Amino acid sequence: MESSDNYNFSLFKPRNLHGRKNRNVIFSMLLIWAVAVFGFQFLLRGIQKPTPEKTLADFETLWPQAISKDLISTDYKTLLNSLIQVKGKNTVKPVDQKILNEAISCITFTVIPDSIKSFILDGISNINAMKERISEVKDQEFLDLKASILEAEKIISLKAAPYNGFADRSLEEKIFLGSLQEVYPGSLSDNSFVRLPEIMKLYLTHNQSVLTDTTFLGFPFHYFYTAVFLLILFVCLCIIYNILIEWRLRKEGIVE
Amino acid sequence: MKKIYISLIISFIATIPLRAQSLTQLEGSFKTGPAIILIATLVTFVLVGIFFRAKDPADYYAAGRKISKVGSGMAIASNWMSAASFLGMAGMMYGFGYNGLAYVVGWTGGYVLLLILMAAQIRKYGKFTAADFIGDRYYSRDLRIVSAIFTILISFAYCVGQFGGIGLMFKWILGFDYTWSVIIGSSVVLLYTLISGMIGATKNMQIQYVIIVVSFLIPIFIMAFKFDYFWLIPQVGYGAAVSDVVRGIPAPNISDGVALLNAYGHDFSIVPSPEFAMPWDPSTGTSFFQWVAICFSLMVGTAGLPHVIQRFYVVPKVTDARWSVVWGLFFICLVYWTAPAYSTFGKLLSSNPDVGVLAKDAIVVYTAQLGGVNSLVVGLLAAGAISAAFSTVAGLLVAGASAFSHDLYVKVFNPGATPKTQLGIARIGTIIMALAVTIVALLKLGLIAQLVSVAFSMAACTIFPLFLLGIWWSGSNRAGAKAGLFAGILVTIVSLTYFIVGQSGGRLPGQEFISYWLNVWYFAWIGAPLAVIVNIIVSKFTTPTPLEIKKFLAEQVHN
Repeated sequence: MESSDNYNFSLFKPRNLHGRKNRNVIFSMLLIWAVAVFGFQFLLRGIQKPTPEKTLADFETLWPQAISKDLISTDYKTLLNSLIQVKGKNTVKPVDQKILNEAISCITFTVIPDSIKSFILDGISNINAMKERISEVKDQEFLDLKASILEAEKIISLKAAPYNGFADRSLEEKIFLGSLQEVYPGSLSDNSFVRLPEIMKLYLTHNQSVLTDTTFLGFPFHYFYTAVFLLILFVCLCIIYNILIEWRLRKEGIVE
Repeated sequence: MKKIYISLIISFIATIPLRAQSLTQLEGSFKTGPAIILIATLVTFVLVGIFFRAKDPADYYAAGRKISKVGSGMAIASNWMSAASFLGMAGMMYGFGYNGLAYVVGWTGGYVLLLILMAAQIRKYGKFTAADFIGDRYYSRDLRIVSAIFTILISFAYCVGQFGGIGLMFKWILGFDYTWSVIIGSSVVLLYTLISGMIGATKNMQIQYVIIVVSFLIPIFIMAFKFDYFWLIPQVGYGAAVSDVVRGIPAPNISDGVALLNAYGHDFSIVPSPEFAMPWDPSTGTSFFQWVAICFSLMVGTAGLPHVIQRFYVVPKVTDARWSVVWGLFFICLVYWTAPAYSTFGKLLSSNPDVGVLAKDAIVVYTAQLGGVNSLVVGLLAAGAISAAFSTVAGLLVAGASAFSHDLYVKVFNPGATPKTQLGIARIGTIIMALAVTIVALLKLGLIAQLVSVAFSMAACTIFPLFLLGIWWSGSNRAGAKAGLFAGILVTIVSLTYFIVGQSGGRLPGQEFISYWLNVWYFAWIGAPLAVIVNIIVSKFTTPTPLEIKKFLAEQVHN
């Protein structure tokens, strides 16, 4: 009589030699696959260190002095630049952008003389009005309005350049113009005052290690490994598996 | 025929002045050139669908097992590369940096599991659908019904993201609002799936694959060349661009005496942005755990997706099933190697504040547009995105309709149904599903890749454990399968409930804890292993698997 036990099998306990060899191939493939994918990420996680950008050190040095209004002109420029570097990241949440805008406006208008301040505030108001209109117009009118905005921005940039130190046409200059508020806030709100150092730390600290700092074919190594190499490995594993299995089937005379 | 070609060429020439105007805005205007390309693409799909239409149920479900391994590989790739691959992945990397790569790795690494654990064995088992296999292997009508329902639900969840992507691209090309764009796109994809069935869809998938790859690769070659990176292999050449994003590029950026500019005339420059490439950066709101959980869920889900598993039934031989995975994966990787390049160039080209906030899911098209790529090529890219969504939706609707008609109607309710009735029921199922998906897609519940990952987690918690143990352990029995499935469904329901309550502004006990550890995008990290463990434990203590099942598995599936 046929016993049910004669046909018991599992991946771990195959029924015959062919099955055991199959199992070994499968386990080897799975091991390579798991170590390559997850082992590397665990390694990356294990050796990472929170590493601040240089800008954060600038900010943390100058911020206490700014609070006590104890800064010289070049310090203001450095402090402003550190805020601009964060504002320019497009991962910044809208709520944090608002605080950064407030801080950038406060610092800028603290160092700019009153005569230029009112000129810049009027200019910003005019630019914002034009920017609101630009989404409603098309073609030539769009191009004309765009040119007017650029012209107005250029005038403000020239006026502000001696105080912020941003070069003409630089990205920092553009971010600076987009950050200025229409109304001079006077000083930072209590919430912004508390949140600003936290925001700076959040956006200027990154998980880095030797694997992220080494470059390979232009990539940070870890990025190359994950985005390029792992995919190559997957294709290779599949090809090797197929070749191995079919070679063994042929060798053992098994027809599927 | 010649007249048609001539009139098409004249139409293209006539649109050249209009195309110059379309570039003044990223969105909101009707784009004539891209619209013509889109219409031509859709007409081709429908014609191919009619020419290769399904004539009987075997054709509709499994393409009559007439597809070669390379052809099947192309179909797997096309079926696989959805709006989530074409649009969503780059969007995730653009928005969440390194964590977006979990999608790239998860959606490719799963094929290794699929190949070594499933592909050949599924083909050897010789069934038509996932529910067929589960019902037969676990000798249970109940399990057949539940797995058929989950096949429909998984296909449904997968389709929601696709319809969202179709809507975004129709919106970009036609300038309509999102709602109308989704409705128009859904109608077209439904029409062509109904006409063609899977045999037409399989032929279409091969054509769609070519369109997807060509349209996805050309703009990246152009941008790599234009912005002075190694353009011969841009999939490697963009590495320097990643490092540029990390270190920052000061403006003006001069190359060979000429300033590099985007289509708006902004400098090709960026402030230092290490958060784009550094692992699980705090500022992106993502963590190491999430990276691993997403990657694992997507990998396991890949090996449990009914519409992917179903593709192995359409190859003539077992060896073809294995090699079609290799071809499929290679074809998929051609696109997946390129997607991060789009997010990198997108980051560089959109750094100027004047560009404004861009929709992450459309970043691929915006990047090409901001990169100053010819608007016809951008139009082809958008048509490629729609092709990607169409090819997947067709496969999903067929899988869902098969479950509805073959697994529920014929096998459970009306075993004597004629082939004509079966086909009619399959088509009714397709229509109902497409309508329901359209309604949910209009709610915009998340990014495309995130919406699609729900389907993967569902598949990983329900279908995958049944296939894995059903193939590899003769001891897995009906009671164990039911208990395991129940555990998987329980995790799914908890996660979905918390998500829906959270989306509607409500709160349940432990809302934040569940939303993080059992998030709807990756709950399979715990759900899938739990379902496997429960299945094993219950099987150990209940009536063993019948002899004939064990014998069939031992002799037919494992030689």
